[in-house]
Amino acid sequence: MFVTAWAPDKHLMTRRFVLTSVAILLVVIGLLPILAMLARSVVVDGHLSLASCRGLFASGRAWVLMKHSLALSALTTLLTTAIGLPLGVLLAKTDVPFRRLFAMLFTIPLLVPPYITAVSWFDLLGRNGLLARYLSPSLAGTLSTWLFGLPGCVLVLFSTFLPIVMLLTMISLKTVNPRLEQAGRLVAGWFAVLKGITIPLIFPGVLLAAMLVFLLTLGEFGVPAFLRYDVFPVESFTQFSAFYNFGAATAAALPLAVITFLILAAERFFLRKKTDQLQPAPDGEWSLIELGSLRGALFALVSLLCLTIVIVPVLVLLLQSAALSTYVEALNRAGDSLLRSVVYAFIGATLLTLVGFLSGYAIHIRALSFWRSIDALTIFLFALPSTVTGIGLISLWNRPWTGFIYATPAIIILGYLAKYTALTSRITISMLTRIPPSMEEAAQIVGAGWVRRMGMIVAPLAKHGLIAGWLVGYIFCLRDMGITMMVYPAGRETLPVRIFTLMANGPPQLIAALCVVMIAATLLPLGILWATFETAMRGSDR
Amino acid sequence: MKVIAFREVSKYYGGRVAVGDFSLEIEEGERLVILGPSGCGKTTLLRLVAGFIPPDSGSIMIGGEIVAADGRIIKPPEERGVGMVFQDLALWPHLTVKENLAFGLKAKGVPKREREERIREIVDLVQMGEYVQAKPAELSGGQQQRVALARALVLQPKVLLMDEPLSSLDLELSVRLRGEVLKLQKDLGFTLLYVTHDREEAFDIGTRVVVMTGNGRIERIGSIEEVRAYLVARTTASKLPGQNLDEQSA
Repeated sequence: MFVTAWAPDKHLMTRRFVLTSVAILLVVIGLLPILAMLARSVVVDGHLSLASCRGLFASGRAWVLMKHSLALSALTTLLTTAIGLPLGVLLAKTDVPFRRLFAMLFTIPLLVPPYITAVSWFDLLGRNGLLARYLSPSLAGTLSTWLFGLPGCVLVLFSTFLPIVMLLTMISLKTVNPRLEQAGRLVAGWFAVLKGITIPLIFPGVLLAAMLVFLLTLGEFGVPAFLRYDVFPVESFTQFSAFYNFGAATAAALPLAVITFLILAAERFFLRKKTDQLQPAPDGEWSLIELGSLRGALFALVSLLCLTIVIVPVLVLLLQSAALSTYVEALNRAGDSLLRSVVYAFIGATLLTLVGFLSGYAIHIRALSFWRSIDALTIFLFALPSTVTGIGLISLWNRPWTGFIYATPAIIILGYLAKYTALTSRITISMLTRIPPSMEEAAQIVGAGWVRRMGMIVAPLAKHGLIAGWLVGYIFCLRDMGITMMVYPAGRETLPVRIFTLMANGPPQLIAALCVVMIAATLLPLGILWATFETAMRGSDR
Repeated sequence: MKVIAFREVSKYYGGRVAVGDFSLEIEEGERLVILGPSGCGKTTLLRLVAGFIPPDSGSIMIGGEIVAADGRIIKPPEERGVGMVFQDLALWPHLTVKENLAFGLKAKGVPKREREERIREIVDLVQMGEYVQAKPAELSGGQQQRVALARALVLQPKVLLMDEPLSSLDLELSVRLRGEVLKLQKDLGFTLLYVTHDREEAFDIGTRVVVMTGNGRIERIGSIEEVRAYLVARTTASKLPGQNLDEQSA
């Protein structure tokens, strides 16, 4: 007797309930704050008004900010793409020595808050910096002037975002079917094959990377604020924190939200189908380009770049903070902030892994009819400048009856979830594409419910993606300053916020020491987990 | 005249033998088919000839010249004068049919006028003249095969390597394309080194067949008739009680 034919599918209901709840959560923590901000920006004393926007644009200041924001984003994007693409090709496809080590070293600036890199360049090139001791006062002055402005911002953000283009190029290259290149190699040298076949094939991936760099630069707050280059995020933050002019702050945030939305819409229209199709290439036929006589010269070039944008900034911080007593004082003054940072990052990363896993799963298997909207929302929130997200969170939660969120670290965690779910969700999707659907189906056919299938089959199979997602989540929560700076409750600041506030009048040695502590707090857990992971992998191979 | 010569060639992947102590000579204008089950080293042999990988030991000669020996590639792929049709065809998806054909000609510095002429000739030969502006994704499976063949032949190689190019097609189309390959080989006179796991395809295409063992060695080599007789005898023997034969899928 077919009793189950008309019975409601309980397992499907559970899946729909859980995944819809995740979608609602994302709307509440991500979309509602933005809508609340928009509403608040156009309502003054209970009436509809565009006075704030009009004020900003009428003064002409908006156009200066727009020009600065676009110039900074465009130049940083051009430079990172022009260097990141060949660098990615060099490290992924050629026999240049120590390419894995270089790839790791070049990634470091992305893992630490960008203003730390700015601090180290200031310690090196500033009027009283390390280099000034050996230069004439006029040259030192010129360098310092150069650092405080567009060139300095471009330099710092270039070194910060270079890994995005480099890594996405390397990942895209892994998706090119080696036979397409081999077919070219039968008739042409490697240079012609790279130019005519490989790079055109990975171009959508490179364009995606360039777009990400543009948006992240557009939303960057810490570096332009430190190097005194007026852009929209700085204006927004200043209006909010210095004058508590909420209208002006949201007016300065609106252009950023609009530009972000337009660029993402263009990406969705032109690139999405092409970048979604990126799949790992078949194994076994991957071959390295032998550089021959160019090997030494290219190695020297890569070493020089690495030395300039990775090693020197770290060395400068170490030199500046050489004394042990500096570190003791740094920990005395900011130890509590460090602890808070680590705890918040731990909680944030764990929740991000869970929410990212479920939303990534919903997107990957298209479990809900509005899966595209979930995907678009997470990406939009990631690309949205942190100051906008921060103002949005304040607009929504700063109410008498939501003090349990607004006045506690919960507001910071919500900010992390809104901002970084796209990262863990994307990592989950890339992991799930490698798991054949038959794995879950085989469990389904023997009667396992959805929760059991997720817990016993899908999650264990995707465990590498979950670990990677957690690590990425931890790093991004730990390095976050934009959101935390806007929303942190009194006395609950994190280490990046503490460093930033100390930068105004703290001794340079102390700031350098705190920056080193920050770098260590980011890289140490990463190193330990990576080593553990490698050991476990080796063990499982045996 | 010998166009290709393998001299005691071996290739290993992580300690596993892909090709073991392989020696063979291929005459000019010959159609040699390598027949064997999956994983027997057929594709590795083609990749060694093409120059994508070096032999771990032994040497390979093309046109009387050593092109690779003892772990070294002496002549890179683009200088060997070989064309190849890959199992998955490897047509460049971002380029039109014409651009796919022109890529190699441009790389070799063929002047534009001659380039256009050679492309026109080859697309006419494979009956794809109407589709020169199409991208690979817009073509049917059979049309893609023809473009892959045209791309491999447009540079007039002395040797054409074909790696199970018809394996993904239905039988009817596969049989028809075998006829077209034979006609092209007869018209253009290139040497054909063809890899397949399908006996009928091997006997249709080849003038000589090499049967490979599962561990990258030659089990039998001979004319179509000799190999056909050998395989029939092997299959019969395997069905007799008390025989201990290494059954192959070939």
